[in-house]
Amino acid sequence: MTYSDKLMELIEEFKGIEDKMERLEMVFELSEEVNLLSPEEWSDSTRIIGCQSEAHIRLNIQDSKVSLESGADSKLVQGLMGIMTIAIHGVEAEQALLLTPDFATEMGILNSLSPSRSNGFRNMFDRVMHEIQEKK
Amino acid sequence: MRDQFPILQREINGHPLVYFDNAATTQKPSSVINAMNHYYANSNANVHRGVHTLAGEATEGYESCRTSLKKRFNADRAIITSGTTEAINLVAHSWGRANLSDGDAIILTEMEHHSDIVPWQMLAEEMNIELRYVPVQNDFTLDMELFEASMKDVKLVCVVHISNVLGVCNPIEQIISIAKKNGAKVLLDAAQSAPHQLINFKQIGADFMAFSAHKMCGPTGIGALLVSNEAFAEMKPFMGGGDMIETVSIHGSTYQTNEQKFEAGTPRIAEAIGWTEALKWLDTIDLEKEHTRLIESARWLATKLREMGMTVYGRHDEDDAAVVSFLHPTMNSEDLAHLLDARGFAVRTGHHCAQPLLDRLEISGTIRASLYFYNTHEEVVSFIDCLTEILERFS
Repeated sequence: MTYSDKLMELIEEFKGIEDKMERLEMVFELSEEVNLLSPEEWSDSTRIIGCQSEAHIRLNIQDSKVSLESGADSKLVQGLMGIMTIAIHGVEAEQALLLTPDFATEMGILNSLSPSRSNGFRNMFDRVMHEIQEKK
Repeated sequence: MRDQFPILQREINGHPLVYFDNAATTQKPSSVINAMNHYYANSNANVHRGVHTLAGEATEGYESCRTSLKKRFNADRAIITSGTTEAINLVAHSWGRANLSDGDAIILTEMEHHSDIVPWQMLAEEMNIELRYVPVQNDFTLDMELFEASMKDVKLVCVVHISNVLGVCNPIEQIISIAKKNGAKVLLDAAQSAPHQLINFKQIGADFMAFSAHKMCGPTGIGALLVSNEAFAEMKPFMGGGDMIETVSIHGSTYQTNEQKFEAGTPRIAEAIGWTEALKWLDTIDLEKEHTRLIESARWLATKLREMGMTVYGRHDEDDAAVVSFLHPTMNSEDLAHLLDARGFAVRTGHHCAQPLLDRLEISGTIRASLYFYNTHEEVVSFIDCLTEILERFS
């Protein structure tokens, strides 16, 4: 698929960072990009299974566009959610379904994370795609 | 010393590796790596019955591990297992099934690793056995009064020598004395203590002692169960197969009378040879001097962490291990561990396979820095410097 300008910009920005600490710092900063699903709203139905942290999402389709709310007890995980938000929030559902996890690989962020965190990201991605498919 | 460990020359993310995950596994000196390579390149064969030269070399290599273990820990019996977990499971299956019956009780502690809890829970499900847990007090020590008061009908006491989360060294002499007075056998989980100290198995009077090679500079996949002669006589074979038998006919089998009775199948030959080299390497270490150095570094680290606002779990007394578990008041432990890794520091996060202890402490996990002989105080200082940088930048 063609990435949105904002996502393209983010991919290029990540590609330019070699220091792992700086890359993680950027993921931390992206935790601010989520439409926050506050801990009071977390429940079994919002929980992402297979993520080591408490990671929660609520996804709706409004006027055929994806609306994603999310939150986690880890800034890194919430940062990954921020990246997902940039990638799909407000995007036409049909268009969002064309997204693959390759964009995260292109950014190089998965290499900066432990295998459990990278798997967590893939679980979140799969869950988001599954919900878009179901609710579109 | 550090030159002997090839991995310690490695850089992680452009920074020198500082390996503080030694309670999980230790690094291996060249002598261990070379001995295993040499075995595969020159002597690889199956052990025991072969009469050819290679079989003789392999048998000698494998059995020299048993001899070294018996000598180092002053034990009559050393069964070679896959590690501490298998050693404890072996006690449950070989001794527990044959010697426990309805209404008997086993004492465990809240400080145990899962490998010293789950096998007993599984056995208790099968047999009508009660499990009693000695509570951990607020000062991170076991409630010894309650332990002594809980001995009625107890046939086995299972206790961790040194906690893998807290580094606390339990009063095993007192525990064994109380157990013996009440006719109970004692299983010591020495996974965290055997790598750091010389334990005289016969002198302490335990019946079983389980530990792993990989936490003492040896290879993964091998460990041992030391057993007293009395307890050994009460153990029944658990896993059947080759090597553990004396004769097999269609009418039945007879078993070996030595440790091989509990070592069915082709054993871990290269690993045993590697472990023997690790034991030789440990012989060159002044354990008391090194322990003093490490516990002083651990105390310094704990103090600095507290000054930084962290909660530190453990007391770091003279006999305790250099294990420092801590939590930042707001920052997620795994986030912190990722950031430390970005600067080359290897620490562990999570429940450390000791969930009942963490439940008792009302936490779900900690960050754990655990030191071993090749760690330096300079590394500990650089760890604090890195944490300071991270907290300034991220918290």
